Amino acid sequence: MATLTESRKKALRRELEGIVGKAAVLSDPDELLVYESDGLTLFRALADFVVFPTSAEQVSAIVKLADREGIPFVARGAGTGLSGGCLPSEGGLVISLMRMNRVLEVDYDNQVAVVEPGLVNLHLSWAVGPRGYYYAPDPSSQQACTLGGNIANNSGGPHTLKYGVTTNHVLGLEVVLPDGELVWLGGKTRDPQGYDLVGLFVGSEGTFGIATKIVVRILKKPQAVKTVLAIFDEIDRASEAVSAIIARGLVPAALEMIDQVTIQAVEDAFGCGYPRDAAAALLIELDGLAVGMEAQVERVIAACRECGAREVRLAKDEAERQLLWKGRKSAFGAYGRISPAYMVMDGVIPRTRLPYVLRRVNEIVATHNLRVGNVFHAGDGNLHPNILYDPRRPGEEERVVQAGAEILKVCAEVGGSISGEHGIGLEKMDYMPFIFSPADLTTMHRVKEAFNPRGLCNPGKIFPTRKSCVEVGPAYRPHAIEEKGLAQRF
Amino acid sequence: MNPELLEKIRGLVGPEHFLTGVELSPYVLEGRTPDAAVFPGSIEEISAILALASEAEVPVTPWGGGTKMAIGSPPTRVGLVLGLKRLGRLIEHEPGDLTATVQAGMSLGAFQAEVGRRGQWLSLDPGFAEQATLGGILATNASGPRRHLYGTARDLLIGVTVVAADGSVVRGGGKVVKNVAGYDLPKLYIGSFGTLGVIVEATFKLRPLPDVDRCFLARFGGLKECGLALKELLTSDLIPSAVELLDSEAARGAGLVAGTDGGGTLLVGFDGLEAQVGWQCEEARRLFEAVGLVEHRVLDGAARDQAWRAASELPRRVVAEAAAQMKLAVLPAHVTDVIEQAGGVAQRHSLGAAFVAHAGIGIARGVLTGGRDSARAVADVLGEWREIAKAAGGSALVEWAPLAVKEAAAVWDPPGPAFRIMQRIKAQLDPRGILNPGRFVGGI
Repeated sequence: MATLTESRKKALRRELEGIVGKAAVLSDPDELLVYESDGLTLFRALADFVVFPTSAEQVSAIVKLADREGIPFVARGAGTGLSGGCLPSEGGLVISLMRMNRVLEVDYDNQVAVVEPGLVNLHLSWAVGPRGYYYAPDPSSQQACTLGGNIANNSGGPHTLKYGVTTNHVLGLEVVLPDGELVWLGGKTRDPQGYDLVGLFVGSEGTFGIATKIVVRILKKPQAVKTVLAIFDEIDRASEAVSAIIARGLVPAALEMIDQVTIQAVEDAFGCGYPRDAAAALLIELDGLAVGMEAQVERVIAACRECGAREVRLAKDEAERQLLWKGRKSAFGAYGRISPAYMVMDGVIPRTRLPYVLRRVNEIVATHNLRVGNVFHAGDGNLHPNILYDPRRPGEEERVVQAGAEILKVCAEVGGSISGEHGIGLEKMDYMPFIFSPADLTTMHRVKEAFNPRGLCNPGKIFPTRKSCVEVGPAYRPHAIEEKGLAQRF
Repeated sequence: MNPELLEKIRGLVGPEHFLTGVELSPYVLEGRTPDAAVFPGSIEEISAILALASEAEVPVTPWGGGTKMAIGSPPTRVGLVLGLKRLGRLIEHEPGDLTATVQAGMSLGAFQAEVGRRGQWLSLDPGFAEQATLGGILATNASGPRRHLYGTARDLLIGVTVVAADGSVVRGGGKVVKNVAGYDLPKLYIGSFGTLGVIVEATFKLRPLPDVDRCFLARFGGLKECGLALKELLTSDLIPSAVELLDSEAARGAGLVAGTDGGGTLLVGFDGLEAQVGWQCEEARRLFEAVGLVEHRVLDGAARDQAWRAASELPRRVVAEAAAQMKLAVLPAHVTDVIEQAGGVAQRHSLGAAFVAHAGIGIARGVLTGGRDSARAVADVLGEWREIAKAAGGSALVEWAPLAVKEAAAVWDPPGPAFRIMQRIKAQLDPRGILNPGRFVGGI
C-alpha cells in the first residue's frame, strides 16, 4: 500500500538514486510486486520503493533519509522468511541487501569469518569448505536464504540440535541503527563489555536496525558422519524413541521425524526409499570423531529397537545418506503435489511431550475437517505441522488459521513456545500472549524503544497490536526449486 | 535511608532475614557500608522490596554468593543489599528434556550435584562453584575452561525470570531449547551485573554426563612452544572440551609443577566415550611431541578436578601477594604474544605477574603480584595492559583490585558508539537508576 503523494515520491526517488544510483531503485508497481510478500504468501503489502545498496555507507544514508522523512523501512534478504517478517507493512522502503553478498574475510587461525548480510547461507560453507571448515546453522532454505535474514530470525535448522542456532555462532555485527548511525556491536573477540547487544539484535526480526557486516564462527568439519533411518508402525513409539536416544547420553547432530502423510507424499514424488505403510520414520545423524562412531551408532540402533522400530537402516554410503536426507528435505515440494496449499506451523514443546502433542495436533486438524503432515526437528521438540488445504474452497483458509492457533495454544500449554525458528513477524503477533504476560511484553517493548524509538524500522511486527494494512491471500505456494525437491522451508 | 522504609522492609521479610549495623561487615562494597542487607524468601517478597525501593529511590545491590562482587567500578551509592541465598531450590529437572529450572540463589555446586544424580550436568564451570550462585554466574556472565567447547551462559540459558526495578516480574525465553518468540531477553540479563533487574529463576539446557572425562597436561619449555602446540591442536581434528594455558608462575601457583622454570603448561580436556578420549590423548601427545613437548600426564578423578579448579580459580586465589587481576580478551592466535608482552610490562615496573588463559578462545587473565603499597604502579601496569589488549583488537577488564587502584585505573574500557543504546536500555528498564548504580560499563 502506497503512503506517499506522487510529487513526494518523485523527490524521494531522486534522493535515493543519488545514494545508490538509478538502476538500484525500484518504484514501478509491477516491479514492486515481487517484494510484496515473503515465503508466507498469506500476507501481502506493497512498498513505495525497493532499493539495492552495495555498502554499509549507502545503507546508512538510506536509513538517515528515511528517518529524516519519517518513512518506514524494512531490510530484506532472499525473502524466504515464513512469518511475514520482512513485509513493508505500512508502505515505505524495502532495503534489499542482496547486492551485499561478499565474504569479506576468513581468518582460519581464529576460526572466524566476516561476511556481508546478503551472502547466501550455503555459500559461506562453500567458501570455507576447501580448507575443511563450514558454517554450522543450516536452515532448510540454506541454498537461498541469506545470513542477514538468519540474523533477523535467529534461524535454526536440522543440525542445530547439537550445534545451536544462529545466535550461538555470531560474535559481532556492524549495524545501521534506526537513526542511520553505523556502529559495531561485539566484534571478533569474546566477552565484549556492556549489555549483550549482539544477543539482543540476533532474532529481533529486523526491528533494531540493519546488519551490514557479520562476524561468525566457522567450525572444522567433523571427521565422520553417520545417518540412520528408523521405521515405526506407531507414531507414539517413534516419539518415545526420540527421548530414549537422548536418555542414552547421545546428542545426535540431527534427529528428525517424518509422519505417514509426509512419507507417502515424498515417496509419490521422489521415491527416496521410505516404506509407504510406516506410521513414522526417524532420521538420526551422528557426527564427530571417527573413533567411537560405531559404538554410538549401535547405541542409537539399540534405542530405536527397544522402542519397537520395525526396521533400522544405516546409510551405507554417501549416496544413500543423501537419498535419506532428500526424503526429509523435499517434504514441502511433495506436499505441493497432494494439496493445492499448506500452512506450516512452527511450535516448540518439551520433547518428552511429543506423543501427547502429536495426538492433539491430529485431533485438532481432524476437528476442522483438514489434513496434516508432520515433518520436524524432533530432537529439540520443534514441530512443523503442515496443514493441507484448498484455498478455493470457501471458509477453508479461516479453518486452517483457526486450527493453527489451536495447535500453538497446545504448545504453549505444555510449556513450549509459539515459534522455534520462523519468528513472529505478522503471522503470530496475536499469539504472543499465549506465552508472554503483559509485563514480559512491556519489557520487550521498552527494549525496542531503546533501539528504535521512532518505530520506523520494520513497524507493525512481533507485538500483539494488529493494525497493519496487509492483504490476506493463500498461505503458501511452492517455489519452483521446492517442487523439484531441491530446497525446502523448514 | 528513611527508617520507616527500613522498618517496613524488615517487617516484610522478618527480622531474622534483615541485617543492620555491625552485621553488615561482609556486605561492605568498596569501602561503602549499606544501610541494610535483606534476604527475602520468595519472588513476591523481592517484588515488594523493589517496589518500595523504587518508590523511595533507594539503591539496591543484588548479592548471590559474593564471589564476583570485586568486579565493577566503585558504586556511586549503596543502600540495600538484596541477598538471594534463601532462593536456593531446584524447581524442576526433566532429564528427558535435558532442561532444569532453578532458583537464582542455588549454588552451582549444589545444582551440579542434583542434576548429576540423574546423569546430567550444566556445561558451565566457573570457579568457586560451592559459593557462586547461578544468579550471580548469570549476572556476571562467569564461565570456566569448558566454555571452549560448550560456550557460556548465553549458549545454555533458555529462560529467565527477573524482578524488574519497579517490582514487576518479567519472564524471558521459556523452557524449551529452541525458541525465537519475541526478543531474546535472557541474553540481555546475562552479564548485566544486576543493573537491569534481579534474576530470580533460570532455566538451563543440560547435557548428559560423558562416560569419560580426562585432562591432558602438557609441559613445554616456554610460551612460544605452547603457542605452536596450540596451533597444532586447534587446527587438528581433535575436539577438546577445554584448552587452558598457564605460564610458569601460574602453573606453580596451581600446584601443577614444583618450581618456576619459565616453561608453559597446557591443560586440555577431552570427554566422551573411552575410545574417543583415549585416542585424543594419544593424538595430542603425538602432535605436541613435534613441537617440543617436555612432559605430559593424563589426569582423571580428583587430580583432574583439582587441575580444572586451580585453572578456573586462578590467578588471584592461588597467587600470594596479588595486587590486581585483569581479564584480556583478544584473538586466540594472539594469546601467547599478549601474555609475553604483558609480562614484560610488569617486569619493567618491578612487579611480578602470572597468567592463565582460555587459550582456544582468546581470554587471558593476568594477576599482578607485589606492589601492594604502590597503587600508582599497579594502575600504570593495568593501563599498559589495556593498551596491549586494545592494540590486539580486544578488550580489558579489571576483575579485582583494591579501591585505591580502582580510583587510579579504569575498571572497564571506554564504551564505544553503541553505548548510547545501552544507556537507553538502562533508562527504559531502570528509569530511577536504583539497580547497582555506577558499577557497570560507562558508569551505568
